[in-house]
Amino acid sequence: MTSFDRRTFVKAALAAAAVGTVPIVDLLPRPAQAAEGPPLAVRRGQDIPKLVRDTVGALGGMSRFVKPGQSVVVKPNIGWDRTVELAANTHPEVVRTLVELCLEAGAKKVRLFDRTCNDPRRCYTQSGIAAALETLKSARAELEHIDPRAFREVTIKGGKAFPSWEFYQPALEADVFINVPIAKHHSISRLTLAMKNLMGVIGGSRGKLHTDIAEALADINSVLPSDLTVIDATRILVANGPQGGRPEDVRRLDTLIASPDIVAADAYAATLFDLKPEDVPTIVAGARRGLGIMDLKRVRMV
Amino acid sequence: MKSSRWTYARRASQTLCLLGFLWLFVQTEYRGVDDLPYPVGLLFRLDPLAALADALASGPFGWGLLWPALLVLLLTAVFGRFFCGWICPLGATLDGLGRLIGRGRRAFSPPLRRVKYYLLFALSAAALGGVQLLGLFDPLAIFLRSLALAIYPAYNFGVNRVFDVLYAVDLPVITPAAQSLFPWWRDHLMAFHQPVFALSFFTLLVFIAIILLEKVEHRFWCKHLCPLGVLLGLCSRHALLQRTPKTLCAGCQQCDALCRSGAVREGGHRRSECLLCMDCTGFCPEERVRFGLRAPQRSGPGIDLERRGVVTALACGALAAPVVRIAPSQERTNPYLIRPPGAAAEAEFLERCVRCGECMKVCIGGALHPAFLEAGPVGLWTPLLVARVGYCEYNCTLCGQVCPTGAIKRLAVEPKRKTVIGRAVFDKNRCLPFARGIECLVCEEHCPTGEKAIVFEEKDVIVDGVTRRLKFPKVVDKLCIGCGICETKCPLEGASAVRVISEGESRRERTKLPAGPYG
Repeated sequence: MTSFDRRTFVKAALAAAAVGTVPIVDLLPRPAQAAEGPPLAVRRGQDIPKLVRDTVGALGGMSRFVKPGQSVVVKPNIGWDRTVELAANTHPEVVRTLVELCLEAGAKKVRLFDRTCNDPRRCYTQSGIAAALETLKSARAELEHIDPRAFREVTIKGGKAFPSWEFYQPALEADVFINVPIAKHHSISRLTLAMKNLMGVIGGSRGKLHTDIAEALADINSVLPSDLTVIDATRILVANGPQGGRPEDVRRLDTLIASPDIVAADAYAATLFDLKPEDVPTIVAGARRGLGIMDLKRVRMV
Repeated sequence: MKSSRWTYARRASQTLCLLGFLWLFVQTEYRGVDDLPYPVGLLFRLDPLAALADALASGPFGWGLLWPALLVLLLTAVFGRFFCGWICPLGATLDGLGRLIGRGRRAFSPPLRRVKYYLLFALSAAALGGVQLLGLFDPLAIFLRSLALAIYPAYNFGVNRVFDVLYAVDLPVITPAAQSLFPWWRDHLMAFHQPVFALSFFTLLVFIAIILLEKVEHRFWCKHLCPLGVLLGLCSRHALLQRTPKTLCAGCQQCDALCRSGAVREGGHRRSECLLCMDCTGFCPEERVRFGLRAPQRSGPGIDLERRGVVTALACGALAAPVVRIAPSQERTNPYLIRPPGAAAEAEFLERCVRCGECMKVCIGGALHPAFLEAGPVGLWTPLLVARVGYCEYNCTLCGQVCPTGAIKRLAVEPKRKTVIGRAVFDKNRCLPFARGIECLVCEEHCPTGEKAIVFEEKDVIVDGVTRRLKFPKVVDKLCIGCGICETKCPLEGASAVRVISEGESRRERTKLPAGPYG
């Protein structure tokens, strides 16, 4: 769990909004997990609900991350108007099972959203995620469209690429933020994994981040740390990412990666593409900026 | 003025039809299913003027789409201009708003009445010559494009601002209520994205002008200008539904004074002018007026057109056609003339498009915009893809689904993905890696063709004396379909560094150029 208190943040944000400035958040490095290294769970299996339960269970179960009465944001990648088999969006079964786990852990509310690249309505539908969540029939779980009014400018203390950026308030406000990307090829950042998945909770002209994407992503992740990262590698996209479109670019791996340490999770995911963590500049920047550990030898496999 | 139950029935029909067409209009939007569940273009499939435009266009008549319009003509031959009085949404709008803004009265003017005939003759002659301008004057097209391009976007803007204010000020009770109402309202009664159109204001001005003509005379548009009214009037000359008494009664001039269309005058009841509003069944002091089906009679007042006027109108139309067609080819002079996927070849497209605005309303990416002069002098209000504003969504086929005349063919998803509407080209003077030596590739990221049509090459370049390895984008011509997402998403300020031009579009013969090593 992170020491970062979102409630405090929001109060600061609202107070700052009241006086017309942007909040400044003092970011401490993540709490010391260094003694024994952050836990990382990797499981394989074809039964996705079971796979999700096993992987999260290996970390001690969802109750370690979500306490009864807490508000949760689950952030899948729903960026593209693509169907499940094309591996452009997080698998709907992964998303649904995670939401189920949050609800079982007593979450007051589980909100899901993504600032999509294609038309949001088409993405939510085609990804299968809208339909999967409907089967839960829970009023506590809600897939919402991004409300353009809810972005707030936040100062990024120590920002390397940008001094400030617009963030989506509901993502900042949540007690628990669960990051659920799919592992994909991406030309400019090499891979798109958990750190890059935060592109879906920021406003502004995201294309401008591409000029220095590794540092920009580290900036963003320093403002909004993920309490739990679950990387969907049930199938991965190895070329023509991040939106794909050809079945021949998809590899089925039946794998799920979970960790409270976003950098460790991304570092492990890189190895699925036959890359070393240090081949992916975003991971390197994340580790250097204290967002987590990329050295997989220092990670505690659970 | 006393109203009969016929008047009430007519008003109810007008209101229901108006609401029905508005409802269909609101349904002209992607709501989670790829195929629109309602016949949202019904208004134009009922439109005899759209059918006339289609019949006069090159290519076969679109029976499959336009048979309802022929049914309307058939019913008009029996009942008269019931469409104008009971169904037409512009007529209903004029009746309703005219009452609100107050109406003028002016003396009956035969020369002005004839204008609409001459207009229809001129437009038809031009259409026969291959220049279709019927859509500019089609009342249904005027109604729908005013709604689509001006009124509905403004309504969306206004409602959003109200919700915004409530969101910002955070009033007790009211703000939470507004917040819980907003998603429903947005999903059912509003456009998902705020519609934005370049020609909104101009479109609104035309609409307002037509409304303001009510200040001159009740149903000024319908009596003096409407070419659809003329077409229906011509069909209703021998209608079986007839009015008694046929002429003004001795000593009573009420019909002359009160008839909204001036159809009942000395000399008899003009069926081609009568809008069948049925008001006279109510206001007749003797309750003498009846409508009933009777065998057609040859006698009765004709359409007092002047031969000279008819000839002039036909000559104007016939002359317009060649003059327009000798203009230099738009395809050559405007490389940014991008039409929606499935659009017919340009000449046929211009002949078939009735400028209704349905495609622009439904376009999920907000990519289609009305042309002003970009498509030549007769291309006004035809749809253009303006990729800097919005792009053509790869898996979407909505514009072809709503087009009532087949100007945009209905395509299945697979052929649509292969339909080339243009090609992307880079402006290396602006594109970041070329011009400033920094990384970008946003265009490549968004390129939707499964095998990407925008790829990159890595090259070493010297930037300020330092060697850097950069990724340079390039277009693979044989894969690019011109959807324009690269142009929309290009992060540069102002003009995009990658633009879609019409080169290589599927709907015309390609100029074969050597493919070159880039493919």
